[in-house]
Amino acid sequence: MLLEIKDMQVHYGNVAALKGISIEVGEGDFVTLIGSNGAGKSTTLRAISGLDHPSAGIIVFDGKRIEKMSPDKILKLGIAHAPEGRRIFKDLSVMENLLLGAFVRDDQEEIKKDLEAIFIHFPRLRERKDQSARTMSGGEQQMIAIGRALMSRPKLLLLDEPSLGLAPVIVQEISRILVDINKQGVSIVLVEQNAELALELAQHGYVLETGTIALDGKAKSLMDNDHVRKAYLGI
Amino acid sequence: MELILQSIINGLIQGGFFALFAVGLVLIFGVMGVVNFAHGELVMVGAYTVWLLHAQNGIPFIPVILIAIILVTVIGLLMERFLFRPTCNDPLAGLICSIGILFILQVLATVVGGDGPSKQVPPPYQGTLILFDFLRVPYQRVFSFFVSAAGLGTLWYFLTRTKLGWALRAVALDREASALQGININRISMIAIGVGGALAGLAGALMAPLTNINPHMGHNVIITAFIVTIVGGVGSLSGAVIAAVIYALFHTFITVYFGGVIATICGLLLMVVVLIIKPTGIMGVRVSE
Repeated sequence: MLLEIKDMQVHYGNVAALKGISIEVGEGDFVTLIGSNGAGKSTTLRAISGLDHPSAGIIVFDGKRIEKMSPDKILKLGIAHAPEGRRIFKDLSVMENLLLGAFVRDDQEEIKKDLEAIFIHFPRLRERKDQSARTMSGGEQQMIAIGRALMSRPKLLLLDEPSLGLAPVIVQEISRILVDINKQGVSIVLVEQNAELALELAQHGYVLETGTIALDGKAKSLMDNDHVRKAYLGI
Repeated sequence: MELILQSIINGLIQGGFFALFAVGLVLIFGVMGVVNFAHGELVMVGAYTVWLLHAQNGIPFIPVILIAIILVTVIGLLMERFLFRPTCNDPLAGLICSIGILFILQVLATVVGGDGPSKQVPPPYQGTLILFDFLRVPYQRVFSFFVSAAGLGTLWYFLTRTKLGWALRAVALDREASALQGININRISMIAIGVGGALAGLAGALMAPLTNINPHMGHNVIITAFIVTIVGGVGSLSGAVIAAVIYALFHTFITVYFGGVIATICGLLLMVVVLIIKPTGIMGVRVSE
């Protein structure tokens, strides 16, 4: 297993955001967490990347316990997190944003190659690489966020709501690229409110409800599940 | 006409000092979220270093400038490690700590230099540059102007052309997102306060031969720094530099025609007007969240 979460709880003050969840992600997997607002999806990602620390339970990544590590150490182990709301550096240029994704790396030649690969995925970023990120559209800002996360050359990519607020055409474009990235060997954990999209892209899914895992299984079987269809797919 | 040109030149030189300490204040506030009330006292320590080592003990001016920079940088780093880092989740605690340091440094300065009249440092560079037969600029001011410009130029290069400089700007914009890029926030905080301290030390050392040195000189410095920061837009480094120059010209002209006290009153009024008309400052950007 690349990532193994066991009985993890996260509290914000006295409020339990996660009440003991277990998740597994294998090498090369594409896993999605779906659920409604406040179910604990973002909290799960924040705990994996070290922004929040679990109050109980363990997280093992690549054979190492990481639940108490700081975000910069976890990134160095190979987990990149494109957080909720994109959180790109708006006053910095597109190029500076992308290169900051490679902040911990020193291999200039390889960084150049990865940058090139990202520009092939997102040609629009190349055209506007010297523009300040503030001037970019929502979709382009999401591309920066994903590109920045990829620049650390992660083994595991955590994505929080990449489709939020974007036009369907852009969502399709980004989806295609995520599948590509996954095929190249990067494991992905995708958090989405758009359950239909998420279950189409992923191989495996977890359904979170009020801080616990209500269901989990192959994405296809979840799509046929009555509860999922009613609660999340609106069918 | 002569008076106007002369005032413009004096204002620009003054603007260099203002920019040096205002930029440091902005940097520390941006990266660490702490309003460093002791920033004026850091400038004061820089000036005292020149008085003690150069004027009293005859050590040459240039090495003393370097010593002042190093000393104030070290004070800044100690403040970060032992005051601001332990209180980083509570901005009010950081602010109160910085006020404590302000008093401690003032008392230390009194212990070192006594509480008698203000001290003067004879300018190490004598003579006056005469331009177009009527503009008179003492060489000491010429020197200060070019050194502060070089200091600001180096800072600009560091912030826009180096990876560490980008990281500094990134942390000022979004700490969490920066941590997710593998940036060690504590390390960047140390760099921010180190750079801010170095600039304050430099400003103090350069101002020493041109101003009255006393334990309370930081008071005017911090007021100026606040005016410049607010007029320029809190969090904007380029705004701080531009506002420093504008405010220095403004201040110099009013001083020439109406006197120094009126100039400071007008400066504070200017700050109030900016807060009412454009609260984000001339270069500031509204921060969401």
